Amino acid sequence: MEARYKQLARRMILTGLAVALIPLYVVGAAIYLYLASAQQQSLRAELLALVVNRASAVDLFLTERTAMLEALAHTASLGDVDEASELAALLRTLNKRQHSFVDIGVLNADGNHVAYVGPYELRDRNYLGEPWFEETLSRGVDVSDVFLGFRGVPHFVVAVRRDDSPRPWILRATIDSELFTTLVRSGQVGLTGDAYIVNRAGAYQTPPRFGGAILSTAPFDPSIAPPGSNVVERQLPDGRRILSAFAWLEGKDWLLVIDRESSETLAPLQLAWKMALVGLAVCTVLIAGAIVFHVRQMVGRLEAEDRKRVAAEAQLAHSARLVSLGRMAAGVAHEINNPLAAIGQLAGLMEDLIGEDFVRSSPHGELFRTNVRKIQEHVDRTRDITHRMLGFARRMEPHQDTLNPNDVVEEALSFIEREAAFREVQITRQLDPALPMIRSDRAQLQQVILNLVNNALDAVANRGRIVVSTRAYGEVIEVQIDDDGVGIPKELRDRIFDPFFTTKEPGKGSGLGLSICHTIMQQLNGSITFDSEPGRGTTFFVRLPRVPI
Amino acid sequence: MAVRVLVVDDEQDFLDSIVMRLELRSIEVDGVGTGVAALELLDAKPFDVVVLDIKMPGMDGIEVLRQIRSKHPGVEVIVLTGHASQEFRQLGRELGAFDYLIKPVRLDTVLERIQAACRRRRGTDCS
Repeated sequence: MEARYKQLARRMILTGLAVALIPLYVVGAAIYLYLASAQQQSLRAELLALVVNRASAVDLFLTERTAMLEALAHTASLGDVDEASELAALLRTLNKRQHSFVDIGVLNADGNHVAYVGPYELRDRNYLGEPWFEETLSRGVDVSDVFLGFRGVPHFVVAVRRDDSPRPWILRATIDSELFTTLVRSGQVGLTGDAYIVNRAGAYQTPPRFGGAILSTAPFDPSIAPPGSNVVERQLPDGRRILSAFAWLEGKDWLLVIDRESSETLAPLQLAWKMALVGLAVCTVLIAGAIVFHVRQMVGRLEAEDRKRVAAEAQLAHSARLVSLGRMAAGVAHEINNPLAAIGQLAGLMEDLIGEDFVRSSPHGELFRTNVRKIQEHVDRTRDITHRMLGFARRMEPHQDTLNPNDVVEEALSFIEREAAFREVQITRQLDPALPMIRSDRAQLQQVILNLVNNALDAVANRGRIVVSTRAYGEVIEVQIDDDGVGIPKELRDRIFDPFFTTKEPGKGSGLGLSICHTIMQQLNGSITFDSEPGRGTTFFVRLPRVPI
Repeated sequence: MAVRVLVVDDEQDFLDSIVMRLELRSIEVDGVGTGVAALELLDAKPFDVVVLDIKMPGMDGIEVLRQIRSKHPGVEVIVLTGHASQEFRQLGRELGAFDYLIKPVRLDTVLERIQAACRRRRGTDCS
């Protein structure tokens, strides 16, 4: 395809693709964004409900445990509870329904652990100065933050003060960390979800599933969580974005956090999106394929039409030029013929009149006679020229001649015989002597055959062979021209009748020869076809209808 | 009887010389320069063959040929002209011209055609 048609095709393809695909992509993206945002919103709502629910469960748990201890403290007296057996009975009572307390102990106002029941040796330890102790002493009840304690194991305690006489005492119990952690983790969702508690300073109060041990510092500042509950999107140190639902507990300065990785919840949507993308890709390929195919075909057709039109115009211009050239030649020939005829007859008359006496009577008599004859010979020569010009002019105009195709072949061959002989190309004639006379345009037919034998001569090497044969069969007269030349490559076969198609060097051939032959044969109601084997040679067939005379 | 020939041509030099050359060959010949004169002479005098130019001022050769064919159908006409146009040739043939020769021609050729035309007109050789 020629460059400007390629450009046209490219432009049409791009426009087609843009018109077809851009809306498709825009709609696809819009749907995705809408779905993603809807998903995100419902996820936030879900997380918020979850965190509120879990926070109240934790609150309830702590409140209940505190209340249980308070009830115990107020029904017992110091004299009762400093006995280990009494205390053990109390612990059993507390844990009757649920094993929520690990140990229990009684402290006097000086911070001495006066009684203890539990798996550790904590009796007689002094807790003076411990924050929870001070807090309980002053406020009457406290749920401690998680701390390491004397055992070096993270835990937290619930403590209540009994204002007994003469001095107040404190009942403290360690909450079962495992139970509490389980309670908190009941807010955990999915494979990447997390649920944990941090204190105001940001230290983990229950172990998070990911990203740290208990008591280590969480990677965010709890103050980003506003009072009450809400959902915040934040970025983890490793760059993942997660949704965090925050809820401050009511009874304790703790923040319940439920994390959810956005990508996990969006996974089904993303799967759908991937499938949609595959669908889009398939659509794109189909649409693009259809557009490219049709545009190519259309532009190809357009180019062929254009080429045909240009060729027709060129041929028209060519023949118009030849016709006017022919008319001019005819005009010149006519004008010359009349004076030439007069010159010829005048000289002829002079020759008639120059008798032997005249020749002898003058020293130049013989010269006169010779010259008068020569004048007539030159008139003959000039006549040959003007008659050729007239013949040329006649050839340019379409007309019907009665002709023997063999004669036309002979005439055409006479034009190239000199060059053929010079190159030692052997031209063999196999002309059917019984060929009938037909009506056709002699000049046009001669041009076709001359073109073909000329091409054959170009195709064969020196000492090559050309065979021209004629035959009649049915209603067809066939002229066949074989050569043993280079042949026509397969890929060029569709194009050799195209106008301006040439394999000759630029400037050597117009590329119109075979195209004109083709057109002429169509005008003569005949046909022109060929067979070729690269390297072996080419055969052209010219077929004419056997038009009766 | 000798062949009686009328040559019609507006080119005086051509007309005079060809008439004289035919006379030299013992042919009874007249020459006129216009179509009208030719028709008048044909009415006045019998001819076997007319040698006729096509392009002439006044009445052209085609018209003269047409009138000869209608008034003197037995007279053979040889067209001798510098104009080789196909349509004139065709027209001449249709109007029954014996032959169509393109100028310039050797006198021998003209003579040969005149003899052939005369043979056709008379059915025998013309001396």
